[in-house]
Amino acid sequence: MKVTYNWLKDFVDIKVAPGALADKLTMAGLEVTSVEERGGDFVFEIEITSNRPDWLSVAGVAREVAAITGKKLIEKSHKVTKSQNHKAEVKIEIENKKDCPLYTAKIIKNVKVGVSPEWLKKRLELVGCRSVNNVVDITNYILFETGEPLHAFDLDKLQGNAVIVRRAKHGEKITTIDAQERPLNTGILIIADERKPIAIAGVMGGRETEVTETTRNILLEAAVFNPAVVRRGRRSAGIQSESSYRFERGVDLEKVTCASSEAAGLILGLAGGDLTGARTAGLAKSKKRTVKLDLFSVNKILGANINAARMKSILKSLGFKTSGARNVFTVKVPHFRFDVNSPVDLVEEIARVHGYENIAMTLPRVKPKPRLGEQPDKVALIKDILTGLGLNEVITYSLMDKSLLREFGMYAGAEALEVLNPLSAEQEILRPALIPGVSACVARNLNQKQDYVNIFEVAKAFGLSGGVPSEELRLCIALCGTKSMLLDRGVVKDTAGFLQLKGIIETVFERLGLKAHDFRPSERPSVIDILLAQEKIGMMQKLDQPALARMDIKNKDLFVAELSLERLLFYYKPEKKFSRLPAYPGISRDISLVIKEEITAGQILETVKEEGSVLLRQARISDCYQGKQIPAGFKGLTISCLYRSDERTLTEEEIEPLHSAVFKRLYEKFGAQIR
Amino acid sequence: MDIEAIKTQIESEIQSINSPQGLEEFRVKYMGRKGVLAQLTGVIPTLPVQERASFGQQVNALKEKILLIIKEKQGSLSGEKLMTQKGSGCDITMPGIARELGRLHPISQVMDEICTIFSRMGFSIVEGPEIETEFNNFTGLNIPLDHPSRDAFDTFYLKSNSKLLLRSHTSPVQIRVMKSEKPPLAAVVPGKVYRPDATDASHSFMFHQVEGFMVDEEITFSDLKGTLGLFAKAVFGKDIKMRFRPHFFPFTEPSAEVDISCIICKGKGCSVCGRKGWLEILGSGMIHPNVFKHVGYDTKKYSGFAFGMGIERIAMLKYGIDDIRLFFENDLRFLKQF
Repeated sequence: MKVTYNWLKDFVDIKVAPGALADKLTMAGLEVTSVEERGGDFVFEIEITSNRPDWLSVAGVAREVAAITGKKLIEKSHKVTKSQNHKAEVKIEIENKKDCPLYTAKIIKNVKVGVSPEWLKKRLELVGCRSVNNVVDITNYILFETGEPLHAFDLDKLQGNAVIVRRAKHGEKITTIDAQERPLNTGILIIADERKPIAIAGVMGGRETEVTETTRNILLEAAVFNPAVVRRGRRSAGIQSESSYRFERGVDLEKVTCASSEAAGLILGLAGGDLTGARTAGLAKSKKRTVKLDLFSVNKILGANINAARMKSILKSLGFKTSGARNVFTVKVPHFRFDVNSPVDLVEEIARVHGYENIAMTLPRVKPKPRLGEQPDKVALIKDILTGLGLNEVITYSLMDKSLLREFGMYAGAEALEVLNPLSAEQEILRPALIPGVSACVARNLNQKQDYVNIFEVAKAFGLSGGVPSEELRLCIALCGTKSMLLDRGVVKDTAGFLQLKGIIETVFERLGLKAHDFRPSERPSVIDILLAQEKIGMMQKLDQPALARMDIKNKDLFVAELSLERLLFYYKPEKKFSRLPAYPGISRDISLVIKEEITAGQILETVKEEGSVLLRQARISDCYQGKQIPAGFKGLTISCLYRSDERTLTEEEIEPLHSAVFKRLYEKFGAQIR
Repeated sequence: MDIEAIKTQIESEIQSINSPQGLEEFRVKYMGRKGVLAQLTGVIPTLPVQERASFGQQVNALKEKILLIIKEKQGSLSGEKLMTQKGSGCDITMPGIARELGRLHPISQVMDEICTIFSRMGFSIVEGPEIETEFNNFTGLNIPLDHPSRDAFDTFYLKSNSKLLLRSHTSPVQIRVMKSEKPPLAAVVPGKVYRPDATDASHSFMFHQVEGFMVDEEITFSDLKGTLGLFAKAVFGKDIKMRFRPHFFPFTEPSAEVDISCIICKGKGCSVCGRKGWLEILGSGMIHPNVFKHVGYDTKKYSGFAFGMGIERIAMLKYGIDDIRLFFENDLRFLKQF
């Protein structure tokens, strides 16, 4: 909201410079976002918080200026013209007092609508309001000065003898002064004549009844409308105005008459005419409110030591009246302070004017109830393992385009959670999986000429479980491209593949002590299931062509994995057990085999472990080879076996028969040959 | 057999090898099934017990050496360059050889840093769901429906259930924690939040917040000032100045916005701080009695403070990033800077 320095001076004798005043206002809660010198005046742009409609006017800000600079507020005296007591020829009907507690109308006849005087034009222009004509400008001027919205109708354009405040009927329409035709509904409060709507109450007047150069007689409206109703009305009509902004936040009922008289006085002065009558419908008084304030509790909440006299004078300067015993005041709340309903509201007023900067900084006596080993700590550990393996963390959007699901083969399974009010197609649904977002992120980086992308994300995936929206914390890893490493002896290339992905996931499992893990091909091609304790907790996938095409990834394979972190952490037991170090050295023996291509490393290892005696402590694949020396359809595999006893040092002679038996078994079962 | 003699022999033999075949012959001679090493190993059981271990070690060392020599020779024979220069040490100006470490996202880094600071002050870290009820996101926090105070919190709703929404701030976790636990309480809540804002350099429909709150019998506004003062110094440095400005939030009373002296111009006024010399970094206040009423706390007995901050904003200020969209584009060239 804009106010000017000189306009404020109409209400309070300001002795501080504009810049200093801006700082004082900011520190009192009226944040001045800019001060601009224009035409011999200073325009303050102020952010008024939604709880303080009483600050939405020059007079309201002036009251605050008076309080924080220790000055008296200059009350403007206004002339009340006698003739306003004459009954006007127009009746007012209010359909529901809850929608409109007070409606007043003044009839002014024989006005001369024309151009406003310079002083009026200039003030309006400084606060960002375009000059229309003298009558309209006066209603706006009073709005900015007092915070009371007014509206002037062309009386001769009204049909019949009544002004009716009612809800719109289904199918009714109005063309507002901005020349837009707007459909109305029963949620919208309107002002109507006997035939049709003439204004959206508290929001905007109708074009047909607006005051123009040809207007002779006017009806001047000053009223109070229900804030929630105005809010709903302007939202469903899709417009906002200076009036609706104030009505929504609350307009002071007790100043309606006063503002109306002031406006009438100005109209008579600047546009001539006669005030021939007035009508009022509804209440003219608001409820009196008092709040009991315990002085001790003020200092207790603030951690301050403000004395009773200081509190009293602060409250008085803001328009509150205090009475009562030494330590407990009864505070009468002024009618314009809708926001003050309880003692804590007064605590803020006292703290604000006393100055937040004058309250000490202390440290609370914390009685900590630390939570250790909670999910966030474990997730942090997993992230650390992944970054340690060279992966970079990404954060992608939780909302996504529904049409992406099909290419990612997810449409059939997941019932997507749709967003009611997305701003674009990219926000249609809550993502049921992280893979699409992370894949898009890989694509973007490939586009930026990255040869190798290795990333992960930890975030929620969303879905329906038993018809109820649910969310699950997941981990997604993506690998793509070839990494070149300059090693001791030249460049070594490492191309992304399933085994790289598996290695990363295995490292996480092993670091967390999760031993019972397994990777199994699923029914879907290019998909590997990831199991923990026989439960499927995730999968790895080589993205297929439709998804790659949608992501615009060409000539590259993209490997992704997605796991439920919640299920993973369910199995995680941080306890670790020490195993005694071997007392005797072991003997390592390799077997290099040539086997049929289709025989898996898993089958071989399983057989080795079955056959190996208790002395065989470990068997692992140490080489895998296909090439010149191996016939087509076969592969070379080297298994390293470690033999060890806890009782003695083993001899070669002891190992020899055991190791031969292992080979014999492999020969019998798979026809394996020594390489 | 004298191991030292074998070593000398190997070194001279390897010099004269200049073909892969020659190298293979060399390999078989030493490493083959009936090679020199196999013979050496065979000797071990015949030695006196006390000598076996040290002899075994020497044999192993020899084996390692031979393997290394073969590998090096393979490299030089296949035309690859030797990166280390034997004898004269190495060309230390060559790039070091190491595995590249990955990075946490800058938002995670800032969020972790903030949580760690508060966790050292005794706050615990709590998380909550991103799909929330209208009650927890609004009503329970003293934000009535159909009220202008809701304008600051435009919200994504779910199509299937109009009472469910994507949380527009992390404050609903206050309600969850207070409903399930009694004071004393001190917690920080990191997480994602959503608001239907059109995306531009300073707005994103998804962003991150850290919320904090403390409730006990004698928590004061001065405690809030002290706690946040400590926090600002920890994040932005000891010389940072801080000010508390009255503001309005429906869920706190009194409420304050917190500014720090501009970290770019040190308070003189620049384009980052809009010539004001101050940067707004968080909102805070004393928890409103109505919030306590909603969770069944005795408003006479307990008081507390709460604060909340946008992580993207703090990260942007801290690192001098001028476009919020960079965080969600995840360009590796961007991510690897932090």
